[in-house]
Amino acid sequence: MRALANNPTLRGYLFAAPLMVVLAAAVVLPALYNAVLAFWRYDAMRDNWRFVGAANFTALVDAPAFWNALSVTGIWVVGNVALQLALGLAVALALNTVTSFRALYSAVVMVPWVSSFVIVAVVFLWLYHPDLGVLNDVLTRLGLIDQPVAWLASPGLAQFSLILANTWKFFPLVAITLFTGLQAIPRELSEAATIDGAGRWQTLRYVIVPMLAPSIATAVLLSTIWAFNAFTLSIIMTGGGPLRATEVIGLYIYKVAFDSFDFGLAAAASMVLFVLILAVTLVYLRVADPARGRRG
Amino acid sequence: MSGPRLAHLMAHLTLVATTVFVLFPYAWMVVTSIKPVADVVSFPIIWWPARPTLDNYAAILADPRFLRSLFNSAVVAIAVTGLSLALSIPAAYGLTRLARRGSRPMLIGILASQFFPPMVFFVPFYIILQTVGLLNTLSGLVFAYLSVTLPICTWMIATSLRDIPVEIEEAARIDGCGDIAMIRRIILPIAAPGVVTAGIFAFVLSWQEYIFALLYTTSERAQTAPVLMFYLLGQHQIDYGRLMAAAVLLSIPIAVPFALIQRLYRSGLTDGGIKG
Repeated sequence: MRALANNPTLRGYLFAAPLMVVLAAAVVLPALYNAVLAFWRYDAMRDNWRFVGAANFTALVDAPAFWNALSVTGIWVVGNVALQLALGLAVALALNTVTSFRALYSAVVMVPWVSSFVIVAVVFLWLYHPDLGVLNDVLTRLGLIDQPVAWLASPGLAQFSLILANTWKFFPLVAITLFTGLQAIPRELSEAATIDGAGRWQTLRYVIVPMLAPSIATAVLLSTIWAFNAFTLSIIMTGGGPLRATEVIGLYIYKVAFDSFDFGLAAAASMVLFVLILAVTLVYLRVADPARGRRG
Repeated sequence: MSGPRLAHLMAHLTLVATTVFVLFPYAWMVVTSIKPVADVVSFPIIWWPARPTLDNYAAILADPRFLRSLFNSAVVAIAVTGLSLALSIPAAYGLTRLARRGSRPMLIGILASQFFPPMVFFVPFYIILQTVGLLNTLSGLVFAYLSVTLPICTWMIATSLRDIPVEIEEAARIDGCGDIAMIRRIILPIAAPGVVTAGIFAFVLSWQEYIFALLYTTSERAQTAPVLMFYLLGQHQIDYGRLMAAAVLLSIPIAVPFALIQRLYRSGLTDGGIKG
C-alpha cells in the first residue's frame, strides 16, 4: 500500500487502468477477433462457424464485386483528396491574405466539418433532386443545361456528385490544417522572394508550397484515411448504384456482412482495407515525417 | 489597382464564394422546412414561400417515432460523454502527470487505436453485442461509440494537461493535496478548455453517428434520430419539407456546442484527432 502511495508511476497506471480495460474490450479485442474471423466462414442457415483457412481471401480475389469496390474506392479517394486539397489550399491562402473578418470566415468554413453525415446526405439528396432540386433549377436558369440532369442516376455522374458532397464535408479540415501551416511561414520569406522579382505564382510555387509540404502531407493523409472510411453518403444517396458505380469498399463490406450475412468474408475484406490504410500511413510517415519537416 | 490590394480583393472574393458554398445547403434546408407542401414540389423553384409555415415542424414533432429517436439519441450522447470524460480524465492525468516510465508508448497506443477503420468493427461488434444480449439496445450503442470517443478524448485532455506547470502541482503536493483533490481542484479548472472540447466532441460524435446505429439497432426501441432519417427517406412518398424540418432539429444540438467551442477547435487541441 505504501509502495503504491509513494510510487507515482504505479499510481499513474492505476488511474489509467479503467480506460485501458474499456479500450481493450471495445477496441483491441474486437479488432483481434475480426482478424481471427477472417479465417472462418459463417453459415447463416445452420448458425455455425467453420475454419476455412485463407479461403475468404481467395474468394475475395475471385469476386468481381470486390475488385469493382477497390477500383471505385481508388477513384473515390483520389477524387476526394484532389478536390479537398485544391479547395482547401485556395481557402487557406485566402485566409492567410485577408486581415479583416478572418475569424468570421474561418468559423464559417468549419461548419461542414461538424455537420453530421446523415444531414449532409439528406440535404444533398434534396439539392441534387432531378425534378425538384435547386441545382438543376439554377443551372437551367443560367442556360447551362437544357433539361434536368439526373445527378445520381448515371454511373460517372453519381460518383462525381458524391465526391462533391463528401468534399463539402471534409475540405474544412484541409483548409484549417494548411492555414495553420501557412501561419508558421515567416512573412519575410515571401517578401524577399517578391523583392527578388518573383511573381505571385512563382512565390507560391517555389517558396510557399515547399515550406508548406509537411502540412500538405498531413492534410493528404487525413483526407485519404477519411475517404477510405467514408461510405455513409453512398449508402444513403445511391445505395452503391447505379450498377455498383458508387459501391466503395466500406459499402461492399457492409453489404457482404449484413445483406448476405457472409461475416467471414466481410471480416477478410475489412482486414484488406486495414492493411491498405496502414500501408498508406506508413508510406506517409516515411516520405513526409511532419516532425522532421518542421525541424529541417 | 496595386498588387497587394488586388490580392486582398481576390482573397475576400474566394472566401465569400466559399461562405456561399458552405452555407447554401443549410440555408436551403431551412427555407424548404418552412415551405407549404405545394411550394416544396414546384419546379421552377420557389425561392421564398409566399406564406412561410411551421407545419412541417408541427408534423415531425407530432410523430412519436421521431420524438422517441431524439430521446434515444440524447440518452446515448449524454451517456457516452459522461463515460468518456469519467474514464479519460483520470487516465490522462495518470499518464501525463504521474507515470513517468512507459506512459508515452501507452499514450501513443491509445492514439493509434483510432487508426482502425470502422469496418473492422462491423462484424465483431455485431457478434459481441448479440452474444451479451445488447443488440438493439442503447447500452450496446454506447459501448460501440466508446471505441471511437475514448482515444480522442484522452488525447485531447492529455494535450491540454501538458501545458500545466509542474510547480503548481508540486506546491499543492507539499500542502498535502492527494491525487483526487489534485484533479478536482487544480487540473480540471486549468485544463477546462480541453476537457470541455473533449466532452463536446464525444457528444457531437455520438449524437450524429450513423453506421453503428444502423447496424446494431433494428427496432424503434433503440433507434437514434439519424437512423430514423434513413427510414423516412425510404418511404414511398418522401416529404422533403418534413425531412428538412427534421434535419434542422437534428442540427441544433450540434450547432450550439460547436458555436461555443469553435475557437478551441482552431487552437490546435484537436491536433491528434483523425476521426471526422
